[in-house]
Amino acid sequence: MSKVYDYLVIGAGPAGMAAAIEASNAGLCVLVLDQAENAGGQIYRNLGQVGIQQARVLGPDYLVGKPLLAEFMAANCDYQPMAQLWHIEAHEKGFLVVALVHGESITYVTSHLLLANGAMERPMAIPGWHKPGVMTAGAGQILLKTAALLPKQVVLAGSGPLLLLLAQQYRAAGVIITALLDTTPKSNYWYATPWLMAGLTTPKQLLKGLWLTLVQRIKTPYITGVSGIEVLGEECVTGVSYTVAGKVYDIDCNLIMLHQGLIPETQMGQLLGCTQVWSENQQCWQARVAVAGQTSVPGLQIAGDAGTIGGAYVAQFNGRLAGIVRANSGVATLSLQKRLLTLWLCLRVKQLHWARGLVDRLYRPADWLSEPSSDTIICRCEQVTAGAVTAIASRGCAGVNQLKAYTRAGMGACQGRQCGLNLAYLVAHAQQRPVSEVEPLTVRPPLSPINLGQLSRQTEL
Amino acid sequence: MTDLLFSCLLKDSPMCPITVNGVEHQVPARLSVAAALLYLGNLAIRKHPVSSEARAPFCYMGVCFECLVIIDGQHKQRACLREVMPHMCIETAMVGVNP
Repeated sequence: MSKVYDYLVIGAGPAGMAAAIEASNAGLCVLVLDQAENAGGQIYRNLGQVGIQQARVLGPDYLVGKPLLAEFMAANCDYQPMAQLWHIEAHEKGFLVVALVHGESITYVTSHLLLANGAMERPMAIPGWHKPGVMTAGAGQILLKTAALLPKQVVLAGSGPLLLLLAQQYRAAGVIITALLDTTPKSNYWYATPWLMAGLTTPKQLLKGLWLTLVQRIKTPYITGVSGIEVLGEECVTGVSYTVAGKVYDIDCNLIMLHQGLIPETQMGQLLGCTQVWSENQQCWQARVAVAGQTSVPGLQIAGDAGTIGGAYVAQFNGRLAGIVRANSGVATLSLQKRLLTLWLCLRVKQLHWARGLVDRLYRPADWLSEPSSDTIICRCEQVTAGAVTAIASRGCAGVNQLKAYTRAGMGACQGRQCGLNLAYLVAHAQQRPVSEVEPLTVRPPLSPINLGQLSRQTEL
Repeated sequence: MTDLLFSCLLKDSPMCPITVNGVEHQVPARLSVAAALLYLGNLAIRKHPVSSEARAPFCYMGVCFECLVIIDGQHKQRACLREVMPHMCIETAMVGVNP
């Protein structure tokens, strides 16, 4: 007879850690599975191990995660790092969660499940983005957090807070930023103005954002209104070309980091049949999630950026709320103190999501990014170009899932994580219908590669 | 390898011996395999199975699957999700079989 957990949490970022703390404090039998070597998620990655020099460069918003990390490490819950989840399914006792741990496939059983697996960067498909020398801004930051690796010289391109933060951190470390190519459309500033009200409810973050933007504009070669970015070079990157006000410019560089905001990693929820909705504000598919993480699937919660992009603070509040609500199966049995805490957390989550509207509207990706030139590779794994996708889509292909059969786009190792959203945009453009009407790619196991030997040695815990 | 794109802030961290494509190297302990390869100056670590073009890790967080390597004989390992271990044997697909 295998062990049945009361609560299995996937992801040890701010949301997962906070939920696990609350649920285990309430006496539940909790297991946290995380794919990284250390807890913290992407935001607090390597926080427990980081050296003084890195800490100085990464700044106070990184170090602020220390108490949460310490509280999680002291919590009375099982924690399995380096677990690569490859399948989840509904089961009579709740859910089966199957992961590769040290090369062996292990099945865990749980009555309730929380997906707190976070976000990924919105794939920024520009010509040449598959060449060595192009990586994401998130990758740059991960290399800094985990390996203290810094480029000598870099071009940063795209839009969004992470790009500005990375510029700030790189400058502090003495990295030469050859250019910061800002693709934020100028019209976004107008469209974002009504959202200022929302942003003003978090004045500290608003000021920090303004300061971060101003400093980069003064201290880096900051170029605004950029479009038509193209990576140059035969085998590796040798430069980048871009357009400003109809004029094309070239810069020499051998490293370029791209960023275009974050999107939730929805694959696990999709696999469990969670209702997905198109978010116009965040321009991506999201699971339909209530304030304490409840989804359309009974027993399944989603918290933090895996649900709605909100950042580390809201993820932590959201996780705590999810954990409390799970531990008490609703709020009826809660003490007055916990009830007040729950109410406060609900309000904070709602407020911070609302305030995020300013960032979402201001940094909404430019339209040209969703209409890449025909030779741009959309599906990196199967090497499918935008032209090939558009050609099939304009001949009346029903959607991205049929497109997959015709072009192989979305069939590679990444399982459509890097192309799914851009395929939907291309189909929408070719067929002149809103992207919200194009269904997302169907998700099937395995969510990460597993070999037949591992499959045959499958064990239950 | 004379023109390294990245340099490491860690100056006197303990080192870990690893083998990359049959050659032994010393890298700072606790790096991910993907970071260790970059530290050693290997930007491209794969030839694309369809186009044979050189490819390099893109996201370093387990999403893009561009960093697949063979680790201790195990194929299709995401180099960004594994930490280096003493005497770990890493094979990249710039030459030979594709992971």
